[in-house]
Amino acid sequence: MRERRPRQLSQRQAALLLLIPFLATYVLFLVYPFFRGVWISLHDWNLLAVAFNPDAKDFVGLRNYERVMWGSNIEWGFAAPLWQGLGLIGLALTAFLHRTGRVSRFNAIAMGVVSLLLVVLPGFHPGEGGRWYDRRFWPTVGNTMLFVGLTVPGVTISALLLAAGMNRETRAMGILRTLFFLSQVLSVTVVTLIWQIMFSPRQGLIANITEVAGGTPINWLTDQQFAMAAIVIATIWWSLGIAMILFLAGLQDISSEIYEAAALDNARGPRAFWFITLPNLRRTITLVVVLQIILHFQVFGQSHLMTQGGPNDTTQVLVRYIYQTGFRDSELGRASAMAVFLFVIMGAFSVVQFIIGREKDE
Amino acid sequence: MNRGYSWLVLGLSLPAFIWLVPTLWMVSLSFQPNDVLARTTSSTAFGLVPVPFTAENYADLFTFGQTPWWFLNSLIVSLGMTLGVLAVSTTAGYALARLDFPFKRTVIAVCLVGLMVPEQAVFIPLYTMFADFGWHNSYHALILPRMAVPIGVFLMLQFFRAIPRDIEEAARLDGVGWLRIFWYIMLPLARPAMMTLAILTFLYAWNDYLWPLVSAQQREYFTITLGLASIQSNFAQSEGLGRVMASGVIASLPVVILFLIFQRYVVQAMTAGGSKG
Repeated sequence: MRERRPRQLSQRQAALLLLIPFLATYVLFLVYPFFRGVWISLHDWNLLAVAFNPDAKDFVGLRNYERVMWGSNIEWGFAAPLWQGLGLIGLALTAFLHRTGRVSRFNAIAMGVVSLLLVVLPGFHPGEGGRWYDRRFWPTVGNTMLFVGLTVPGVTISALLLAAGMNRETRAMGILRTLFFLSQVLSVTVVTLIWQIMFSPRQGLIANITEVAGGTPINWLTDQQFAMAAIVIATIWWSLGIAMILFLAGLQDISSEIYEAAALDNARGPRAFWFITLPNLRRTITLVVVLQIILHFQVFGQSHLMTQGGPNDTTQVLVRYIYQTGFRDSELGRASAMAVFLFVIMGAFSVVQFIIGREKDE
Repeated sequence: MNRGYSWLVLGLSLPAFIWLVPTLWMVSLSFQPNDVLARTTSSTAFGLVPVPFTAENYADLFTFGQTPWWFLNSLIVSLGMTLGVLAVSTTAGYALARLDFPFKRTVIAVCLVGLMVPEQAVFIPLYTMFADFGWHNSYHALILPRMAVPIGVFLMLQFFRAIPRDIEEAARLDGVGWLRIFWYIMLPLARPAMMTLAILTFLYAWNDYLWPLVSAQQREYFTITLGLASIQSNFAQSEGLGRVMASGVIASLPVVILFLIFQRYVVQAMTAGGSKG
């Protein structure tokens, strides 16, 4: 018997053989590009110039970061009382909630960090005779945050309410879920195609309904007041599905006994939702919010295709600015510096997501 | 079924219908003649019912424009990427879940870090790299970067970990080699997880926009997602609204069919994919 058996690989050899295809692509197309990106961000690197002459790049250290994020005569003070005040209130609230033991340590730290950033970051502003080196960068970051700040609560709240309503295993509920989830599988270009025409003041469905109702159609995509709202609406329509499904999965874990017990105490409908559903879904809600922040901070297509960042830069978002700086202005160095900035923010939220995911497993 | 339940279904049907309206409108517009659409988009019931009806827009797609070609590109890229991701993820996932070798924990940790890197943070260096190799405007340029994303490896790793060890041990006692165990025992068991991963990858590939936008500059290498973006900016002037909408319907057909047939897997895949989906 023994002699006829073919020669076998040892466990180590087999592992190596099985791992090599993935590790090779991983190192070549993810690890290496990442570090190369950091390296590019340290150079004055023009796309076209370097393409013709590989040596046409100068090492400039951190200058690109300075040119993107900093300016001349930058001072710190209470320049944005609204945001900074909100941050101070947040800090006080965190301290109070933590003292009285109403939030976990992890949540307290998260809230504290966010509040502190709110106090510190908006305080920077150019002093007398000073200016930002790149006037568009911080407003772009602000727009991205506004987009996230409108989309995430919009998706979360509507998905939560819908999931709570649909938490039954019946055929009708199955069909309703399918309808809500359907738009999720469409590509961003199909979504923008649909909504560009939906919002059109001349041909759009919304304008047609407004006219029949006797109103004047709004030019959603070219009006400064409405452009951001328009891409937020399209995005909520597009991405409600995942959040809804995650909530439905979370709702399955709440035993029906709790609801039955509560019904004896006359807690039904909205009261049951408020006092039982919400507290039991806390972790799922946090997870969904963090996932969405990561997802929507990377928004690109909606802004690029529906409004082209306009009108007047009101819907310009970070990834689109990176794309334009790199591929329209050929400034790969500066674009890479912004990409590293994006990575740092995404990385921070990914760590939070990872920690929450871990807690859930335990 | 009590009365409260009926009201609930009724109450949820309204938002569900509103949710369906934009998609329905696209489909309906794609079946209306372009000269009518140039005048009004709300002929019958706000244009939600395709009257007057025509199928000409779909016939036109095959004679004008490059939609069928882009569709084929998308199919090649998506299937290629799906096969590639399945190949590297199942092998690496199995090795990391079941085999013992030095520095295993380090390798897992290194791969885990890769989950944090978004496509948007590496697309510029990838662009310069592929430009140096002269790889742009090719199918492999569109396929390869996604194969490096470790999400699939972790999906498979988690699945393989949950399979009881005795199956493997029995095979080992019979003198079956590791690679044979992987191929003849583990892979067939992993079919549901592979299905989930395949669907996740296919959806991603079909719908990806940013990387094809920078990598494929020649129209012959556009995917349908990218091609659709290139014709929608000037839909009113040149192409005719109905025909652009027909392209949109065609571009959505594979993913919608996939969704309707494999709904359970799609939902699983998108939940598992989370932010990376």
